[in-house]
Amino acid sequence: MHKPWLVQYPPGVPAEINIEQFASLKEVLASSCARFADLPAFNSMGTVLSYRQLDEASRAFAAWLQQVAQLRRGDRVALMLPNLLQYPVALFGVLRAGMVVVNVNPLYTPRELEHQLSDAGATAIVVLENFAHTLEQVIKATQVRRVITTQAGDLLPPLKRLLTNFVVKQVRKQVPPWRLPGAVDFRQVLTAGRAQALDDVPLTRDDLAFLQYTGGTTGVAKGTMLSHGNMVANVLQVAAWMSPNLIDGQETVVIPLPLYHVFALTGCLSFFSKGAQILLIANPRDMPAFLKALRQTRFTAIIGVNTLFRAMLDTPEFADVDLHHLKLAVAGGMAVQHVVAHRWKERAGVPLVEGYGLTESAPVAIANPVTIQEWSGQIGVPLPSTEAAILDDDDKPVALGQVGEICLRGPQVMQGYWKRPEETAKVFTGDGWLRTGDMGLMDERGSIRITDRKKDMIVVSGFKVFPNEVEDVLTMHPGVLEAGAIGVPDDRSGEAVKVVVVRKDPALTEAELLAHCKQHLTGYKMPRIVEFRSEPLPKTNIGKILRRELRV
Amino acid sequence: MKPPPRFRPRRIVLRNGREVTLRAIAETDAAEIVQAFERLSAESRYSRFMQHKKRISDIALERGVRPQPGREFAFVVTIPAADGIDIVAAAQYVATAPGDVETCEFAITVAEDWRGTGIARRLLASLLRRARRDGYKTMEGWVTAANTSMLMLARRLHFKVEPVPGDATVLRVQRALQPPGPAAPITSGMACRMTSTKRRSRAG
Repeated sequence: MHKPWLVQYPPGVPAEINIEQFASLKEVLASSCARFADLPAFNSMGTVLSYRQLDEASRAFAAWLQQVAQLRRGDRVALMLPNLLQYPVALFGVLRAGMVVVNVNPLYTPRELEHQLSDAGATAIVVLENFAHTLEQVIKATQVRRVITTQAGDLLPPLKRLLTNFVVKQVRKQVPPWRLPGAVDFRQVLTAGRAQALDDVPLTRDDLAFLQYTGGTTGVAKGTMLSHGNMVANVLQVAAWMSPNLIDGQETVVIPLPLYHVFALTGCLSFFSKGAQILLIANPRDMPAFLKALRQTRFTAIIGVNTLFRAMLDTPEFADVDLHHLKLAVAGGMAVQHVVAHRWKERAGVPLVEGYGLTESAPVAIANPVTIQEWSGQIGVPLPSTEAAILDDDDKPVALGQVGEICLRGPQVMQGYWKRPEETAKVFTGDGWLRTGDMGLMDERGSIRITDRKKDMIVVSGFKVFPNEVEDVLTMHPGVLEAGAIGVPDDRSGEAVKVVVVRKDPALTEAELLAHCKQHLTGYKMPRIVEFRSEPLPKTNIGKILRRELRV
Repeated sequence: MKPPPRFRPRRIVLRNGREVTLRAIAETDAAEIVQAFERLSAESRYSRFMQHKKRISDIALERGVRPQPGREFAFVVTIPAADGIDIVAAAQYVATAPGDVETCEFAITVAEDWRGTGIARRLLASLLRRARRDGYKTMEGWVTAANTSMLMLARRLHFKVEPVPGDATVLRVQRALQPPGPAAPITSGMACRMTSTKRRSRAG
């Protein structure tokens, strides 16, 4: 296949990556821990875990999963954690034990959590105590038999640990009461695991590494099967892409996006493969704490989404953050707004480098060269060993410059959806192209621009929301007769969820309806605008809702 | 216009080897339609109505089982059942807007267990012929973007598939009926799983 985009590759970026380099993420871990042993790997709340310490802790965690919990290769282990030091320990522990990671958004409601755990068939979970009450409500309906709980400060030095755990629990009251009989404490797991042997599981590229959940058009999330081969490929692709700007073992990257999201996850692992220090931000919405962490650490790279960069720029205290060492700012997940890109360049001196991908492509497939001087407004060019094509409705390539569906091929493209062969068949063409659902065009130098979205979803700050799921929750309320959800432009989040509701119970208030939604929908899926109508929703003569007419 | 000829019921052998009956809907089908709706998955209902519908309203049901002769038509596909028959698929068209004699809108629904048998293709071909006979010039339909099977079927039967400005969740499919375009295939040939329908419904 002709790859016109190669002319745009900066010197030093190869056209192809060598995916033979690592057979699994376990080997990526081993390589980094050997090469960078005494360098800081992860930094959270001022405490550093070196590559060597991470190696030891994750080994103990893995041994416990194998020998004490008696989990088997391929078993699914859920991680319901924010960006704390426990996350990488558990992540690498699960992977090197030969099991599959199921990332769970800690803010999930019981309804969402139950679906994901059951669908994945997870038999164990690592959960931050703050969210244990959610698990408690649904655990009986799932196959989860092993629960590891952790408190926020568990991997901090003794005094800081006690203080942090006390403040979280007693002062901020962030831990609702919970009861999970048989749950084991994270620290006990590490202690017990240190005394156990670890069976070295010979993982191959075909072994499953993650079931990464993504919204489904039918209203339920589906698990994207990402193999070790997929993940290793994307880690190498992204690392190769960044190589013109980064030096092994010398960088510090800020990760304010949650690691349960694939963009932060793979980004983090790519920096990890280059021996960077990874500064974890548990809650970027706590802007004072976030900025404090930025002031305390000299950082050279950051990854984020438009909403976050904007929030930083809008905070006056951001002016006090030293950006002199910053070499790379990567944006993904959602479209970057021109005004944000412009303000960022002015303030930071380096442009926002926009990348593009899907959970189904592990995720990065297309990106701007990191050497650009100005934000381009395009999503960029395909990464090494990645092909992109613009196809028409019959899966035939369109003429250069014509709009069609952006389709992808490459070693990072998923194995399929977990237990959903039909959904899998739908997203691949006969030639093995992954349909992205995004409409766009390619110019003669291989640069790709998105023009429209084909898929039926709303993107809120980089998170996908399917109207179907929101409508399902709305109509669960007995006071609702009909409901339609649409995306409307929003300055902060790109798009926001607007709902139009016809009441059965005329006394139903917006507050009641939102309270109902809150029980069943994570924050980003929550309706921002509620409109009540007294007449039936607009329909075609045959009875189909005309969603576009809900916009007026 | 003189009333169109009656549609004579016919037996069809499907790709899965099962024999079914294809016939025009009758007023006495109302109870079976309600039951068939209840057996549908949430996803199928969503494809048909583009909303989460818990039940078909009485008014909609009433309208659906009494198509206006010469302007509307509805087919059902039935199999014998312990209590008489079960409806396993249905298809219909109505004028796009009240009084519109040029364009009609169609919908098709096939029960989950009966997908991939060629029923949808058969139904759509039947709708095309009947609508042409009723004098319509164009047939159109609205299909959820996720409903790839229906979109594939529409393309095979020479429908044009277009995006709908302002709504990425649906696509519009349409094709000309007159002068007779490419003949609508009749055989049950390749089948498509499918989609949408049951009865037209106006909520409330």
